[in-house]
Amino acid sequence: MNGKERILAALSIREPDRVPLYIHGINEAPIIGIGRQITDGLPDPKEFREMNDQEKGKLLDTLFLIHEHFGVDGFTSFEIGHEAEVDERHVADDWGVVYTRSPHGLPVATGHPVREPGDLATFTPPRPNRGHLVLLDLGRERFKGEKALFWLMRGAFVRSWRLMGMENLMVQMFDNPEFVHRVARMVTDYSLEQLDMLIDAGLDVLVVEDDIADRHSPLISPAKYREFIKPYNMELVEKAHLKGLKAVTHSDGNLWPLLDIILETGYDGLNPLEPQAGMELKKVKEYCGDRLCLIGNIDCVDLLPHGSPAEVDEAVRLAIADAADGGGYIVCDSNSLHPGVDPLNCIAMFEAAKKYGKRRA
Amino acid sequence: MELLKEIAEKVEAGRQNEVKALVESGIERGIAVSDILNGGLVAGMNSIGIKFRENEVFVPEVLVAARAMKAGLEIIKPILLREKVRSKGTIVMGTVLGDLHDIGKNIVCYMLQGAGYDVVDIGIDAPGEKFVQAAKESGAQIIGLSSLLTTTMVYMKDVVDALRASGLGDRVKVMVGGAPVTQSFADEIGAHGYASDAASAVDVVKRLLA
Repeated sequence: MNGKERILAALSIREPDRVPLYIHGINEAPIIGIGRQITDGLPDPKEFREMNDQEKGKLLDTLFLIHEHFGVDGFTSFEIGHEAEVDERHVADDWGVVYTRSPHGLPVATGHPVREPGDLATFTPPRPNRGHLVLLDLGRERFKGEKALFWLMRGAFVRSWRLMGMENLMVQMFDNPEFVHRVARMVTDYSLEQLDMLIDAGLDVLVVEDDIADRHSPLISPAKYREFIKPYNMELVEKAHLKGLKAVTHSDGNLWPLLDIILETGYDGLNPLEPQAGMELKKVKEYCGDRLCLIGNIDCVDLLPHGSPAEVDEAVRLAIADAADGGGYIVCDSNSLHPGVDPLNCIAMFEAAKKYGKRRA
Repeated sequence: MELLKEIAEKVEAGRQNEVKALVESGIERGIAVSDILNGGLVAGMNSIGIKFRENEVFVPEVLVAARAMKAGLEIIKPILLREKVRSKGTIVMGTVLGDLHDIGKNIVCYMLQGAGYDVVDIGIDAPGEKFVQAAKESGAQIIGLSSLLTTTMVYMKDVVDALRASGLGDRVKVMVGGAPVTQSFADEIGAHGYASDAASAVDVVKRLLA
């Protein structure tokens, strides 16, 4: 099997030739740290925007090389070119959401253009731009069908709170539910149109990335999730399935109170299964492993930053033992390979997936 | 007292207009504002806090309850000041340097205000000196630090060190919390308290001020 076949088998709850390996997200610093083990000429760790064209090209090539060298079966792509610099610390996307940059991870949405119902009267949503799919195009050209192509698409909750502000969105669920529905409709229409482009571009797996929980619990009640989020994300899943794609959902945190609704939505996979949030692989597998492929759970908070390669190896062995029987598990970290992870631990995770992941008799 | 119970229920339900009306009614009836505060407004938030900890309600319910509580508090605040009713304590709250996340910190602020404490919210991406300055200016007894990222929680130690260097280390205690933060990390950096979630932050503050 090649990587794409492996990933699609796992997402279909069939056992592939070995347990697939996937990187959901990876920052510049770990690309460089891991990359230095297999290639030369990488810049010192810095943000992509601070690199010159040659450095950017090298970083991207190294990202591809990491997937090839370590046998990562799926490649994650996401929108590029949809943000414009406002000033040194701020960027704005094509919705007019302003983000504050941080050296510690992704920019955080801090400026929200749709706060009151009246704002919608003068707000023109953007149309998806085919040029923003460049990373997917590059991945498709590089891997030529050997690896599954994933796309990170923000779901209704994240798109809505970025436009409205998170606390404002939550209060409006009480004060003005119709307003919340109108925003969710608007962002979903955009996502559906973008999905058409992604399908034409050869996407294999849609990831509805909709962070909606912390370690303690979901941010909103199951009832509000069912009313304001599920119907809209379900349209994305249904369209993906109609066109032969698989659909995965991503959210950190404790998703147990939402798990039944996630299952009803029809996703093929769930990522990243944060261990600190009670998303124990064995328990989730027992609950719904016959219906949902589990992707993740290799701890990126403590283990990948501060553990040893031997501890990472053992964690992967246990994860495969707990979740891979019969298919339906993909080795992945529990959120992303962020700037704090130890590159050698990441490599240990990749290698352990190969070491322990061969199909059982 | 029936009115205070009703205030508490309406705070819990997030009914800010009804809370305002009931608080005004209570004042007209000569109920002590400290009773309206503690028996009505704080009691309502306390109840929401317990339900939040038990996953019976979630962040939106806490937000509208906090809004309702604040609406009632605004009415009695001038009277509290006039009558020199002392606050239970002052806490400086902020997200540490390099970290831009605020929802967790904000929920803690609302829960602490709901419990009758004064909160000085210095926002996000706050260096150690900003916490120390705010503590000096407000006379706070506690500094509360929030971090969502493993790469930013290291700056919590900087705040502890800045506090010690400023000479406030004996008077001001440090409480920490956030997704990657643990009790052992809190112990390691010399923090006085660790809150695993927003609801238990109130308990930690009570303990630190006892």
